[in-house]
Amino acid sequence: MQVLQTSREAATQKAAISVQGLTREYVTRNFFGGVSRTTMALSGIDFQVGYGELFGLIGPNGAGKTTTIKILTTLLTPTGGDAKILGLDVRKDLYEIRRRIGIVFGGERGLYNRVSAFDNLRYFSDLYGVDPAVARKRIPELLSVVGLTDRAQEKVEKYSRGMKQRLHIAKALVHDPELIFLDEPTIGLDPGGARDIRNMVRELKAQGKTILLTTHYMFEAEELCQRIAVISKGKIVALDTPSELKNMVRDISVIELRTYGATMEYVEALRRLPNVVRVVADLDSEQQSIRVQTPLGADLLPMVAAALPAGAKMIDRTIKEPTLEDAYLRLVEE
Amino acid sequence: MKSTEGRGLSADSRLLMAWRVFRGAFFFGRKGLIIWDSWDMWVMQIVITPIAQIGFFAFLSIYLKYPTSVTQFIVIGNALQSMSFSAVFAVANITSQDKWQGTLPSTMVTPANRVALFVGRAWFQVLLSALIAAAGLLYAGGIFGVSFAEANFVGIAVVVLLTSAAMISFGLLISAVGLYMRTALIVANIFLFVTLLLSGVNFPVSELPGWLQPVAWVIPLTYGTEAVRMAISGASLQSLLPVLGWEALDGLLVLVVGFALFSGFESLSRKTGRFEEY
Amino acid sequence: MASMGSLTPGRQVEGRVNKIIQVLKASVFLTSRLFFADPQWLIPNIIAPFIFTMVAFFLFQGQTSGSAFLLYLVLGSGLMGMWGTTIYASANSIGFDRWNGTMESTLAAPVPLSWIALGRVLFNTLQGVLNAVFILVIGLVWFRVGFGLVNPPAFFLASVVTFISLSSFGLLMTTLLLLSRKGGFITNSMEIPVYIATGTMFPVILLPVVYLPFAFMLAPTWGIEAIRLAALPGYVGLPTTYWEDMVVMVLETFAYLGLAFFLFKRVEAYAKRMGTLEEY
Repeated sequence: MQVLQTSREAATQKAAISVQGLTREYVTRNFFGGVSRTTMALSGIDFQVGYGELFGLIGPNGAGKTTTIKILTTLLTPTGGDAKILGLDVRKDLYEIRRRIGIVFGGERGLYNRVSAFDNLRYFSDLYGVDPAVARKRIPELLSVVGLTDRAQEKVEKYSRGMKQRLHIAKALVHDPELIFLDEPTIGLDPGGARDIRNMVRELKAQGKTILLTTHYMFEAEELCQRIAVISKGKIVALDTPSELKNMVRDISVIELRTYGATMEYVEALRRLPNVVRVVADLDSEQQSIRVQTPLGADLLPMVAAALPAGAKMIDRTIKEPTLEDAYLRLVEE
Repeated sequence: MKSTEGRGLSADSRLLMAWRVFRGAFFFGRKGLIIWDSWDMWVMQIVITPIAQIGFFAFLSIYLKYPTSVTQFIVIGNALQSMSFSAVFAVANITSQDKWQGTLPSTMVTPANRVALFVGRAWFQVLLSALIAAAGLLYAGGIFGVSFAEANFVGIAVVVLLTSAAMISFGLLISAVGLYMRTALIVANIFLFVTLLLSGVNFPVSELPGWLQPVAWVIPLTYGTEAVRMAISGASLQSLLPVLGWEALDGLLVLVVGFALFSGFESLSRKTGRFEEY
Repeated sequence: MASMGSLTPGRQVEGRVNKIIQVLKASVFLTSRLFFADPQWLIPNIIAPFIFTMVAFFLFQGQTSGSAFLLYLVLGSGLMGMWGTTIYASANSIGFDRWNGTMESTLAAPVPLSWIALGRVLFNTLQGVLNAVFILVIGLVWFRVGFGLVNPPAFFLASVVTFISLSSFGLLMTTLLLLSRKGGFITNSMEIPVYIATGTMFPVILLPVVYLPFAFMLAPTWGIEAIRLAALPGYVGLPTTYWEDMVVMVLETFAYLGLAFFLFKRVEAYAKRMGTLEEY
């Protein structure tokens, strides 16, 4: 027992983020102050992130990602368990933690649109207590890193989504934090903008920063993260390297279909076929893309083709190795 | 997407469509007014603000040792003026809310009849504003001692409703400005103060400098304050008619100008793409 | 706190004070930038007080005898302008962040929210002072008010303390808006009652007795009394002296500040517990 305790403490000290048995419940109170509803957002999660690691946290909406990030960034107190950031307690050492972490909020939130990029950075550097002499040097550097030097004096409201997001990153770096939280940093960006952000994340990693990233895009998590935790219904259902996570679905292969004129009925018919594990379909566009997970591989193809209703056309079909997304879907749906 | 609608429509069905838009805009206008969403805004608009405003100027008059007749003049003027917030500010606010919620572009892409859209949004406010003015007059009688013994109540009702409708026209005019500029709410705010000064609320228009008097008569409320005082002292509908006629004409004029601005700003917005800025 | 161990206690205090000043400066600076980014905001600060003064001028017309009375009016209008700006703009200072989507970023900064709010409130009150000065200029130039003060140093002192008391009140208002979406309701519906209760235009003694405790709880009520005693010859208002007014005002200002900082702590704790400020 004693030994276990010590080794655990040692691990805690080595980790940049250390989370043990973390729980969070939300209590909704009614008008009279009585409890009307209790929601468990996190029910006891554990994980550790080492210094210099790029760690991913993925899961469906409402799984507990945002709650976890909020707790780790000291914006929310946990109702149970422990979380240590750089060896500091999220309950007690608020300001010390805040000085040493940077947060990138995804989406449109978090910037003053009516003032310039430069003014935004200067304001936040002052809030974070950066020495003005240091800030004078660092802000132009950051603006150049995120490619906004030429437009630094323009109002942020004139920026494109991608530019705003790059400014978000600069804002999070203005006090040179050791640990950076990226909360869905590429959400809503076009492919080029998202690629820019991913390159910046790689660059930060190369500089030795510890990074915790949440994302909805599996390929992004696979591309960037060294380890990934999959969170579902307030629990961590898997935690491993991307390749190990993919190994979990080694037993299946994926038939990727592109069809024209296929409907939900076809998808249902596919689901009823024997040995079909899962069917994921995007029916919204003119051409539909359907992914069928099956252990049978190519042997299933005749049945897939036979189920196609009259009037619908098969444009393309390929057999593929399962991706992280397939593993993810299995994990969060089970 | 080819459409046969719109081109070959008969006059009847055009009218019907306009009516639908009007009806839709009416309900939207009511729902979109977040400002009225909660009970506290009602309390504020119907109770606190009118009483405080009437009280402020009434006490000032008492402090200045004006005769009772002057104080009552001020009390009645402010009672009617208290509708301005609802009529002008809240109506101008509809467009602003639309902008904040980012729903303005989706409203403007509809092929809806613009007059119906423009006017329909505001009619709920006419009733509301009339209600507030009625509450104001109730306080005037109940708290501030204005005598209604000789009052022509039908006359008062007509004046209040007409003034409310005419003032809404002003609100719509400002909301048209709000389609294009961020300033609409500020303009609306200033307008609230301007009426205190110009519309015969606290002192007769004749005391204003000569060059300001024509400006005063552009504002429908100026006719309203005159008419409501007449009605309270017992003037018949017939003798009210000239003032009310001018007020109606004025309101209509403001509405036409407002709509012209609305159309003008709409096409300007299309050119500059400013819908989405706030 | 081990990292702080190497610093001497003196350095720590100095560091802390510097940090507060840095945050205040940043907050004032940003608020002014946001203000000037939308120069149309100048309109209510120029036109609204102008109209108030005009209305009052017309009402006072005929009743006025001598410039002291006009000075009384101008001082009152100026204070009304200051009040309006303080209550309205200050209450919206942090509310703006909620609206603008910068609440999380602001809360995540390693400084208490109250410092940031204080910076905003200071700028807004300063805006109110400009308001008052503008009204004074109208009075001097347009209405030819004589500006002969009874006791200039006392007038200056009372004005400064009133400025501070207005800022403190603004800070308290800010917490109200944070605590509840109804904050907007409270501040909006308070505007005119506060004009009445602080005796901006007529002495509070005219008011119904039930109103008086409310009037006496507002520090600027005493500020206006002190300012008038220092400015107007032969002014008769409340049965208090200049210094009595000043002492009460200062005590009440401290009470506002204490309450505001206490509430800020509570608000921040609440936000952390519930995970949001957005759902009040």
